[in-house]
Amino acid sequence: MSAIKLAFDAILEKKGRSFLTMLGIIIGVAAVLILVGLVSGYNADITAYYEKLGVNKITVDITYYDRTNTVDITDDLIAFIGDDLADAVIGITPESTSTGTLKYMANSNSTATVYFGNEQWSACNNYVIDRGRDLLPIDAAQRSRVCVIGTYVAESLFGYINPVGKTITFGGEPFLVVGTYYQKDGTAEDSMDDMIVIPYTHIRALKNTATVTKFTVKVQNADLMETVMAELEYFLGDTLSTNTSSYTLENGNDAMTESDEETASISIVLGGVACIALLVGGIGIMNIMLVTVTERTREIGIKKAIGAQRSVIITQFLVESSVLSAAGGVIGIVIGYAGSLILGKIIYDLILVPDTLVTVGAALFSVVIGVVFGLYPAVKASGLQPVDALRAD
Amino acid sequence: MALIELHNIYKIYAEGEENEVRALDGVDLTIDRGEFVAIVGTSGSGKSTMMNILGCLDVPTYGDYYLDGISIKERTERELAEIRNFQIGFIFQGYNLIPSLSVWQNVALPMSYQGVRKDEQYDRAMAALEQVEIAEKAENRPNQLSGGQQQRVAIARAIATQSPIIMADEPTGALDTKTGAQVLSILRDLNRAGTTVILITHDNGIAAQARRRVRVQDGKIIEDEILEEVSP
Ligand SMILES: Nc1ncnc2c1ncn2[C@@H]1O[C@H](COP(=O)(O)OP(=O)(O)OP(=O)(O)O)[C@@H](O)[C@H]1O
Ligand SMILES: [Mg+2]
Repeated sequence: MSAIKLAFDAILEKKGRSFLTMLGIIIGVAAVLILVGLVSGYNADITAYYEKLGVNKITVDITYYDRTNTVDITDDLIAFIGDDLADAVIGITPESTSTGTLKYMANSNSTATVYFGNEQWSACNNYVIDRGRDLLPIDAAQRSRVCVIGTYVAESLFGYINPVGKTITFGGEPFLVVGTYYQKDGTAEDSMDDMIVIPYTHIRALKNTATVTKFTVKVQNADLMETVMAELEYFLGDTLSTNTSSYTLENGNDAMTESDEETASISIVLGGVACIALLVGGIGIMNIMLVTVTERTREIGIKKAIGAQRSVIITQFLVESSVLSAAGGVIGIVIGYAGSLILGKIIYDLILVPDTLVTVGAALFSVVIGVVFGLYPAVKASGLQPVDALRAD
Repeated sequence: MALIELHNIYKIYAEGEENEVRALDGVDLTIDRGEFVAIVGTSGSGKSTMMNILGCLDVPTYGDYYLDGISIKERTERELAEIRNFQIGFIFQGYNLIPSLSVWQNVALPMSYQGVRKDEQYDRAMAALEQVEIAEKAENRPNQLSGGQQQRVAIARAIATQSPIIMADEPTGALDTKTGAQVLSILRDLNRAGTTVILITHDNGIAAQARRRVRVQDGKIIEDEILEEVSP
């Protein structure tokens, strides 16, 4: 009890040294928490991006060598998926884009991406109807002049007016807005909300291409990807003439796996940086403690000379360094949490809370270093003859 | 049985090497309870070395030291700490105050190891400081005091525990004649009340006021003289 009192006195007494010791721990712990927090923020950000983009997508890309002699396989492909792969596949849609200027009255938008799709386009690309209706099979069949628009297009052309039922123009052609999608990406220019979908059958007139060459197939889940790829391979090999065309199948999850690996390596690098920060903090603590060993050794010599038991001296130092280290750890955690929350909000617009295990680990590491090196002079000097400790220099 | 018995004590630094120093070179000395012994000698003669061994702060290279009839070698570390705490009030040549504690806390520290209650520690510390006329500096830090003032704090720390033995290494070294005389009279009073006092000095005038004078030279006792018989 009096050892605790003595320890607090000693801490307050040497404010400078106490502060520097704590600083090492504070910096170490806070740096680790913030860096690890940012890594998890980055991960979450990437994952969210891919989730918005949509996972489990296969892209079918066909190249026709002989433009004059092409057979349109769109209907066959859609029919094949619908008949043979209905259980494994969510949908298939032609995938082709264009840009141009969209106009409604005096307002215009020339940044939007124009998608040529069918009624399954929204399901394949993770868009959900908000107002009005989605594209229907009949829209493609009859080449209706209709479109469904994203929130940014709605906002930029219509402001607060309900766009459904209004007619916009694209490339000078009128299109009736039949529906709008829910916001997906923050309703910003060039975002995933800056888009419209029109029936793919307009491709010939608007893009000057005879046939659809690109499709997106959305698969039920990641486990079925390989199966569906194989089935498509089989169908395409069977249907397309190798003399006049070739095709590629792309597994959309591959990009994500790649970026997962990238994220993992970034995590490792930043984790390493965090470990170095912790180590530097630890070395700082060590240095300060070791620099004061002489001073403390003399103090221990005096205490021994006037009759202090070894255990009393060690207890006092133990309490002192524990209190210091623990206080440093707590302050480090507070700063680390605050830093993660603030930086997470600023950089990723996410609420980043540092991992509990990392928090405990970093704090424990610093506290152990603080205690060990705080105790070191006490253990060493209290074993000396009092005269030897008194003579320390 | 004598309080202190030194039998053929050697303290040898760097033994067997070229720069070997025999700080104590075969010392025999017996001190009884209630004595007032002055140990005199020139600088480097081995006085502090002898005092450190007597105060259980150091161990001899060779020889036996019996304190209260028991060899120091047979004492555990714990017992030695207790002896230093309860039996001996030590005044160091270099004061050895703890810089981070206030003057009165320095004086109270040995009592805190004895388990004396906090308020009693303070009272006894203040009383001891008053005895050496430095009570007005009780709340100051040692480094805010002059050399002589620090020496008086060191004396207060040694007498506050009311130990049966006082060992003082040049306790008046940094004091003027008047204050030095005061300290000496405090030591004489303590001795009269039964405390065994061992005093180191290079000042023959001060040594003359002790009851016995032991002269040390080159680590050997060259003279041991009774100056004044202990009054019954
Ligand atoms: N740790 C040590 N290592 C080597 N030699 C030492 C050590 N301590 C003391 N000595 C030597 O032992 C001798 C006796 O030293 P001591 O301190 O006992 O002298 P002293 O009589 O107290 O002198 P002073 O009056 O100056 O205090 C000296 O020659 C000193 O150099
Ligand atoms: Mg000396």
